[in-house]
Amino acid sequence: MRLPFSYSWRNVRARPLRSALTASVIALVVLACTLLLGLITSMRRTFTSTGHPLNLVVLRKGSDNDGSSMLPVESYQAIRFLDGIARNGDDQPLVSPEVVVQPFFRTREGGRENVLVRGVEPVALEVHDQVRVTEGRMFRPSSGEAIVGRGVTGRYQGAELGGAIEFGRGKWKVVGLFDAEGTSFESEVWVDVRELANDAKRPLPFSGFRVRTANVAERERIERRIDDDPRWALDAEPEIDYYAELASTGTTLYVIVVAVAVLAGIGASFGAANTMYAAVQTRTAEIGTLRALGFPRGAILWAFQAEAVVLALIGFAIGAVASVAAAWILSNALGGFAVGAATFTTSVVVLEVDARSLAAALFLAIAIGIAAGLGPAWRAARLRPIEALRKA
Amino acid sequence: MADGSNALIDVRNVSRHYVRNVDEVHALDDVSLEVPAACFVALMGPSGSGKSTLLNLISGIDRPSEGEVIVAGQPLSTLDEDELATWRARHVGLIFQFFNLIPVLSARENVALPLLLTDLDKAERRRRAETALRVVGLEERFDHFPRTLSGGEQQRVAIARAIVTDPDLIVADEPTGDLDARNAEAILDLLRALKNEFGKTIVMVTHDSRALRYVDEAHHLDKGVLLTGEEAERAAAALLAAAGAHPMPPARSDGSS
Ligand SMILES: Nc1ncnc2c1ncn2[C@@H]1O[C@H](COP(=O)(O)OP(=O)(O)O)[C@@H](O)[C@H]1O
Ligand SMILES: [Mg+2]
Repeated sequence: MRLPFSYSWRNVRARPLRSALTASVIALVVLACTLLLGLITSMRRTFTSTGHPLNLVVLRKGSDNDGSSMLPVESYQAIRFLDGIARNGDDQPLVSPEVVVQPFFRTREGGRENVLVRGVEPVALEVHDQVRVTEGRMFRPSSGEAIVGRGVTGRYQGAELGGAIEFGRGKWKVVGLFDAEGTSFESEVWVDVRELANDAKRPLPFSGFRVRTANVAERERIERRIDDDPRWALDAEPEIDYYAELASTGTTLYVIVVAVAVLAGIGASFGAANTMYAAVQTRTAEIGTLRALGFPRGAILWAFQAEAVVLALIGFAIGAVASVAAAWILSNALGGFAVGAATFTTSVVVLEVDARSLAAALFLAIAIGIAAGLGPAWRAARLRPIEALRKA
Repeated sequence: MADGSNALIDVRNVSRHYVRNVDEVHALDDVSLEVPAACFVALMGPSGSGKSTLLNLISGIDRPSEGEVIVAGQPLSTLDEDELATWRARHVGLIFQFFNLIPVLSARENVALPLLLTDLDKAERRRRAETALRVVGLEERFDHFPRTLSGGEQQRVAIARAIVTDPDLIVADEPTGDLDARNAEAILDLLRALKNEFGKTIVMVTHDSRALRYVDEAHHLDKGVLLTGEEAERAAAALLAAAGAHPMPPARSDGSS
């Protein structure tokens, strides 16, 4: 006892301009929703994947990020010889002393952004084993050389192989480019740790250590050992937790995005409802005819509800295609999406619209369609046939 | 017939009042009428005289304020809204002044529409729709959409839609009202053929005096009252004079054929 789906579909097509406009509004909501969700997902993935499950971040007690921590050399020596730390082929413990500064870099377009510059020793490449020099070579200590992450490459003035970047008191020659499996290291510049400490005129050379432990049990043991030692006033934390905290910035953003999506969705559904009310108005005699021919109220209700959902699905299709295209352009053509992370440096996130973001947007679009169709479909179904027919 | 009458349509003391603002409009006042099976009947009268109202009561689109309408032995008042819709779909073919085709459906789809309310499968619905379109002479217009058809052709599609379920009764509200003379006569011809060849009972509202040459009976309404006797004859004579003296069948109010 239903009207065929083609009846609803063809009615949507019968008023192309109005349908296109209505669908476009829904498409905009879908576009915004998928891009923002995709951004959050990408951000979370970037930060969460940055931590290694066996690594510890060791900072001075009371500082929650690399930037505000300073550690004496002695503590480095003490930690290096703790039991349970992983060792490389040369039997050297995998402890990476690091110093972090966040100078301003000039972007190609002339803007200014904070970039995380990490001073390291060669052992850093073993502690952070996602990092791989893909072009050029590793820097040599005390020679004013730097290697730059994939996200940094090309984004800032001089940030390319053979180029020179300026920060602090000198110029740094770019001798290598590195990849870090999409983690936030890709948004960093790496230089020699002592050279960077000197350049920054830091009285103490290191801001923190990264420690690769032998296994999870050792990681937990060493974490407690460092935390409890009163001589050093150090704080150890699993690297994955450290980055999860940075990623939690995304959670607040997530709530905001959901709220915005719902509000925009309500707006779009009012627009679509308007279109559908207009359709009921202009097709009153037609509805009367269908009812007179014997179609029950339910058939009319379904047909108009289906029409609203079809509009929403068209909107979803347009919005989904647009968002995938936009994500591709932002990530590939523009080299990534800059987001201010909790450390106030710029992280370049490769934006990807994933299936879950699309599914969420599809759900939103269908909800918009149903909400928009409800009122008009009811009005259509409740029309009394004789009165509707008099509108001919 | 179930109630002992041999009429297909039995309208008994029917009134229909509308409440408009505070006024009560008496669209029909105590009208009784019987129409035998396989009879082509015209309902005539000036605009606003209650013709459409009476037709809608006969086809079960509307319900009387008082009185009873019985069609093919079925008292319509005993059916609820949904039952009445189902009954209409099965027993009544509807034809309107402005054709009332669905613009987004092709001729064949428009004609097949009432069959969606039956158990017939898609192939059978299609076959029957095509048969109905052949009956009205539109075998070459199956895939045309209403806007690509002339007024006369659109009304033929509507007639095909009205007969596709093979109903006992066809009701037509001013079916020639929006057509030129040539097309109007072709439609009247077609309706008469449906009665003659398929035994359909047809009730047609019209104020077109040409129709008098095609119908078996004509009934006259004025201000919601069905005219009888002298008044009916006077109304008929007035129409005839306006039409230029065509022979006219007598109005039968005894209900026999
Ligand atoms: N739904 C309605 N509400 C109020 N008045 C109506 C309605 N339908 C018809 N009428 C009134 O009833 C009278 C008869 O109408 P109708 O049967 O359409 O006349 P006809 O078809 O003979 O022109 C008219 O005065 C009309 O205005
Ligand atoms: Mg009328």
